[in-house]
Amino acid sequence: MKDQEDKDLKGKPRGLLSSWRFIGLLLVAIIVYAYGWRVTEINLGDLITGAPDIVHIVTQIIQPDLLARDKAYQTGYADFHMPCAAAPLAQPAASETEPYLVLSHTCGEPGEPLSVEGFNFRPNTRGTLRWTPPVGTKRSLQHFDSDGDGHFVLAISIPEVAESEDLHLIEAELRWEVGLPYPSETSRVVFDKMVETVLMALMATTFAIFIAVPLSFLGARNLMSAYRGTMIIYFVVRGVFNVVRSIEPLIWAIIFAVWVSIGPFAGVLALGMHSVAALGKLYSEQVESIDPGPIEAIRATGANALQTIIYAVVPQIVPPYLAFTIYRWDINVRMSTVIGMVGGGGVGFLLIQWVNLLRYKQAGVAVWAITVVVWVMDYVSGVVREKIV
Amino acid sequence: MCLCPIYYPSPVDAWSRNLALVLAVRREKLMLEIQNLTKVYEGGTLALNDVSFTVDDGEFLVVIGLSGSGKSTLLRCINRLIEPTEGKIIWDGVDITQLHGEELRKVRRRIGMIFQHFNLVKRSSVMTNVLSGRLGYVNPWRSAVGRFPKKDVEKGRSCLERVGILNQAYKRADELSGGQQQRVGIARALMQDPELILADEPVASLDPATSHSILRYIEQLNREEEVTVLCSLHFLSLARAYATRMIALKDGEIVFQGLPTEIDDDRFKEIYGEEAIQVEIR
Repeated sequence: MKDQEDKDLKGKPRGLLSSWRFIGLLLVAIIVYAYGWRVTEINLGDLITGAPDIVHIVTQIIQPDLLARDKAYQTGYADFHMPCAAAPLAQPAASETEPYLVLSHTCGEPGEPLSVEGFNFRPNTRGTLRWTPPVGTKRSLQHFDSDGDGHFVLAISIPEVAESEDLHLIEAELRWEVGLPYPSETSRVVFDKMVETVLMALMATTFAIFIAVPLSFLGARNLMSAYRGTMIIYFVVRGVFNVVRSIEPLIWAIIFAVWVSIGPFAGVLALGMHSVAALGKLYSEQVESIDPGPIEAIRATGANALQTIIYAVVPQIVPPYLAFTIYRWDINVRMSTVIGMVGGGGVGFLLIQWVNLLRYKQAGVAVWAITVVVWVMDYVSGVVREKIV
Repeated sequence: MCLCPIYYPSPVDAWSRNLALVLAVRREKLMLEIQNLTKVYEGGTLALNDVSFTVDDGEFLVVIGLSGSGKSTLLRCINRLIEPTEGKIIWDGVDITQLHGEELRKVRRRIGMIFQHFNLVKRSSVMTNVLSGRLGYVNPWRSAVGRFPKKDVEKGRSCLERVGILNQAYKRADELSGGQQQRVGIARALMQDPELILADEPVASLDPATSHSILRYIEQLNREEEVTVLCSLHFLSLARAYATRMIALKDGEIVFQGLPTEIDDDRFKEIYGEEAIQVEIR
């Protein structure tokens, strides 16, 4: 205590930990974080218990349905009676070259075991055994692989299907890929939508430039501070910029999807709306930060107003304007990939559909396309901006 | 820092220079007369209070004084970058304060100006900055699309050569060092074929060695081409080294007019205040 008093007398600040204010703040912080932990339902255990689910999705996404090859098929059939009829069915005829199936018995009841043997099939190939009842839908029973001689034996149990006088059909189908790989249907659809996405961003950015450039002068304090009337315009313009900018493009997309119906145009409007405000703010800040020195110097040479603008103002404004615009386009490409999720067109539309249908291999193609395009845009815009500014 | 010899690219130029010299000798006196100049800023600040003095042709007149004493305002009133509140500025028999539009611009183009912060367009090339010195002479529509007559481009090259930075002509202005940027500023003023140069603390943002080199370029213009120079400076030692005559401003009023040698310690204290100490810049 003596030391503490000495320190106070010397006018030195108290130690941080010993000050009441610090302890108070610490308590408040602890309460806020504890409450936050509960409200946001943080449960680190979920990360581990849920891991198997995500592994399935991730493995499919990292094997996207990028390329396809033509498929070839080979099929063998056998008939089956259920229940057994008076005359037993003949087994399929054996052949030297053609694939055929042999059943352990040709009639039976549901649940009874049945052995299916295949001969002369394509060696080392994956296939599926299917059961087609005379009434109702075809069902897959089992996947299998043929051995080196194109032979396989499958032990199944007769499925629970409606009994009928008519014949049931047992079908073994082998599938394999032939020929050179080519872009899959998914890839082609994604490519089309990716082009749409980039162009959406381009259109939105372009529209935004035409509106934001004139507005940026109205939103620049140094230009508008001369009179009360212009000051009011300044505050209105800046206010609109701030409000519009604080609404995310996703929200705008929902609004415009209702307005002009779902599609890329809604996306263009949504991105454009946000970009006008974002660019307008950046542009007008750039106008505000103009160096008055060159303007003074150019006026001093006897230049007229037009020459002063062209030689002293424009060179100060145009490069940063270009840089901001390219950056905005870059952001818009990124945004337009998700804007499709709420009906704004572009690749996001495909992505959300495939995710909802649990078709993760197709979703994987979209994810990879987005990654590549965003990365390229980011890189290119970075290089270009560096050159300009 | 070398004092590079004046460069003339062709005999024709040398001939025209000689002609210009002959004309300069013959021409009428321009005489700059400042009469009762007063400037009150909007907030009510009295920057200049009834300032009167005369500048003879060929003088190197240095204006000294503390920051805020009105030096910059005085220089900017002369080419009307700042509108004077009262008073007359008579140059070449014309009252500059009464000029408007085209007439004012025609006077401005004969007055070169050099700034403390160089006031170059940083993102433009050195050459563009130098060429902008011709804006008062060229066709405004052609210059609007960035085209200058060939002889102006040649002139730009020779002005840059003259200040020793021709090899930097196509660099961006902000890639140059401070001293080089000020030399671009001088080249820009030279492009105007100035009869008067206003230099507003041209060396206040430079180191002492560079300061001397810059001031020598201005002195060279003053001596060899008989360009009248009005230059404001912070440091008395620099003023003494270059001025043919000095005036001192304090709170917008002239407190001293005379030769550099006449400023003794008492005068110094009068101009800069009791607590000031002389700092030598060599």
